Amino acid sequence: MTTTEGPRPGDREIVPPRKPPRPWWYWAVAAAVIAFTVYSGRRVGFSLTSLKDLPSNPLWEKFWPPEWDWVFANAIDPLIETFQIAILATLVGCLLALPVSFAMSRLTSHNTYTYFGSKAIMNLIRTIPDLFWAKLFVTAIGIGAFAGTLGLIIFSLSVMVKLFSETIDAADPGPLEAAEAAGGTHIASVKVGVLPEVLPNYVAYALYVFELNIRASVVLGLVGAGGVGRVLEAQRQFFQFDRIMGIVILLFVVVFTLEQISVAIRRRLV
Amino acid sequence: MIEFKNVSVTYRGGVKALKNLTVTIEDGEFVVIVGLSGAGKSTMLRAMNGLVKATEGSILVNGTEVVGAKGRRLREVRKQIGMIFQTFNLATRTTVLNNVLMGRLAHVPAWRSTLGLWPAEDKERAFLALDRVGILEKAYVRASDLSGGQQQRVGIARALAQDPAVVLADEPVAALDPVTSHQVMGDLQTINEDLGITTLVNLHFLDLARTYGRRIIGLRAGELVFDGPIEEVDDETFREIYGRAVTPDDLLHEGAEVE
Amino acid sequence: MTAPTEAEVAVVRPRMARSKLVFRYGVTAVIIIGAVWSFTSLDISVERLRTAPGDIWKILRLTVPPDMEGDFVSRVFGKVLESVYIAWVGTMIAALISLPLAFMGAENTAPRWMQLPIRQLFNVIRSFPELILAVLLLPITGLGAWTGTLAIGLHSVGTLGKLSTEAIESIDFGPAEAAQAAGGNRLEAIRWGVLPQVLPTIVAYWLFRFEINVRASAVMGVIGAGGVGSELINQLNFRQFDKAGTVLLFTILVVLFIDTSSAAVRRRIILGGGTSESANTEVFRDLSGLTGPGLT
Ligand SMILES: Nc1ncnc2c1ncn2[C@@H]1O[C@H](COP(=O)(O)OP(=O)(O)OP(=O)(O)O)[C@@H](O)[C@H]1O
Ligand SMILES: [Mg+2]
Repeated sequence: MTTTEGPRPGDREIVPPRKPPRPWWYWAVAAAVIAFTVYSGRRVGFSLTSLKDLPSNPLWEKFWPPEWDWVFANAIDPLIETFQIAILATLVGCLLALPVSFAMSRLTSHNTYTYFGSKAIMNLIRTIPDLFWAKLFVTAIGIGAFAGTLGLIIFSLSVMVKLFSETIDAADPGPLEAAEAAGGTHIASVKVGVLPEVLPNYVAYALYVFELNIRASVVLGLVGAGGVGRVLEAQRQFFQFDRIMGIVILLFVVVFTLEQISVAIRRRLV
Repeated sequence: MIEFKNVSVTYRGGVKALKNLTVTIEDGEFVVIVGLSGAGKSTMLRAMNGLVKATEGSILVNGTEVVGAKGRRLREVRKQIGMIFQTFNLATRTTVLNNVLMGRLAHVPAWRSTLGLWPAEDKERAFLALDRVGILEKAYVRASDLSGGQQQRVGIARALAQDPAVVLADEPVAALDPVTSHQVMGDLQTINEDLGITTLVNLHFLDLARTYGRRIIGLRAGELVFDGPIEEVDDETFREIYGRAVTPDDLLHEGAEVE
Repeated sequence: MTAPTEAEVAVVRPRMARSKLVFRYGVTAVIIIGAVWSFTSLDISVERLRTAPGDIWKILRLTVPPDMEGDFVSRVFGKVLESVYIAWVGTMIAALISLPLAFMGAENTAPRWMQLPIRQLFNVIRSFPELILAVLLLPITGLGAWTGTLAIGLHSVGTLGKLSTEAIESIDFGPAEAAQAAGGNRLEAIRWGVLPQVLPTIVAYWLFRFEINVRASAVMGVIGAGGVGSELINQLNFRQFDKAGTVLLFTILVVLFIDTSSAAVRRRIILGGGTSESANTEVFRDLSGLTGPGLT
């Protein structure tokens, strides 16, 4: 038997339902989004030809070959400083985040003022980009790694608190209630009732924050807050493109490797 | 006509799901395939449209070889075969009509369907299919907003929209309640009788198999252990196919009461 | 009765496997050594630690009240808006490029040989921070917003590509299989069986990325790649703290506004036209857990 095209016997005359019209706001929203995109595109100087010609721009040749000798002689120490900033900031930021997260979680906070207060302050802190903090600190306490470390501490704190307090929210309230019913003080009850459950997450998030910090720390130097970005900024101002390329490649290799290690450890943890 | 000749299917892990199966199904038959879980029922159906690759033998669908078919030729075979799934397999976040139009994919040039520029005639067919299963008025409703029974009807309409010569239904009512199950099986029966579409249905409820099947195929551990018209089937037959006594769980009606 | 002490808790805890213990002590040791090493190498003296809070507080206090002089306010506001334009166009470019790439990188929609290179591409792009990309692009495309836009667009291809790939891989392939069973080819199966199922999630990711990119574009100005960052740097360099306060104020206001409205739209998109499937809420939870500055 072959398939027969055309109406088959027994098919009735049918009246298909009418396609419901889109709600009026659908077109309004679509038009607004398109208009905003076009306008933004013009304001930022969007250009398809620029996009298309980008890979074939002759200036790229100035980036090649990287000046490795110079890079290894001058960029390694600042690079190490970068990672020291990241390590210290991760540690301090995550430790500070521990009490704040418990104060900020619906489950463990028992004081409305600290709950809403910490939430509001943390939300405010999060709206300011990390590099702005770094620049503020550079202005206040002077150029150098200290300012960068403080900037990243603020950054780590705000990310960690957000992730961790939501994990605490989702924790099982049973053990906490049991500990409190047994007469434990609030802090002690949280310690035995909630902490063990969320601790693995805490460690995993800390590693994740470390990955973020590694990436964030390499640009701190652009505002004078220490690390390898300082070298990048100097070479940038002297148009030493081959050195810039060398630093960027070095950064990429190191950042990529560290990240893979951190990801591997995180997998083992959770 | 569908001809299985010495068909075997070995899965990648080494499981032999079909062993040397030889069966012929004539046009317009209503065949029910029964067997224990893991007997190879799904494998048999899916081998017919190439969703599972047969590792040996030959499967002819209206004279076209399915085994080894690829690309355009495989799609030509699939065009003639509608399939209905246990879990409906609907794109739940889009309209019923879009789901049914999926049945027209093989009939419409790829660029038209991809852009959603369906020809009027194909839309008409989708509507006809929806009308046949009685949910025409739901055409523009999101698929996720339908009940289970209605969703399976969309699945049937999608198969019908293909204008198929064959419909394969893999446990089409396993996710439905008893009343809806009978309605859906009734739909399949009507389609088979009215349109003459060859229909193969996997079922694990034996009372349903008896009510709707005109011919029963029994599989056990990948082998054909029974093949005959419904008139020859009695409790003893099922006992042989299953290799154990029939229990209330094997019956839709009593299974529902047991729950 | 007093609450159990830590020692008591430790007693009832079952003993951990040896390798796990070794792993744990190893990690702890590495952290402590790393911290001590970092602290001693960086020039952070106790003296500076003591005075720093005071110095910072002094400056933060000077930013209040911000300079609300009309011309200056409108200039700052314009710069903040420029950051928003950069983030929006960058996100749009990344969305357009990452969407097809994500389907080419997902294991259920692409042939095996195609997946690996695409995924690696995402990983490589992701490890370049936006600002580093901008440093590279600056000599080619020049000072200005377009460089920042490109850098943000490029970096977001990596992050959006990865997220979208994961979204595609987490869907039920049933509808796509149904499309193939009906005789559709791979592209058609993706278009009708996969796309409708994942698009809401992916669009939500786009919006989410936009929120992050607003912050990322705000700092582009630090190296002259457009937006409000240059204004903040200048005001702080000239120690015009009340003007820096204006910049911070408008940055905060606009970021807050975008975060809240975008989150509301995201929720709507994910929850779809009225019906809330449990899978959808799941995705939404995943997503809301991810909000944080610079999150990549
Ligand atoms: N994709 C696969 N890969 C490997 N083995 C499979 C695959 N699909 C099925 N099998 C195996 O093949 C055998 C037959 O499976 P099949 O799905 O055809 O059984 P069935 O009769 O449809 O069972 P059910 O009633 O549970 O649906 C089983 O042993 C099963 O485990
Ligand atoms: Mg099956």
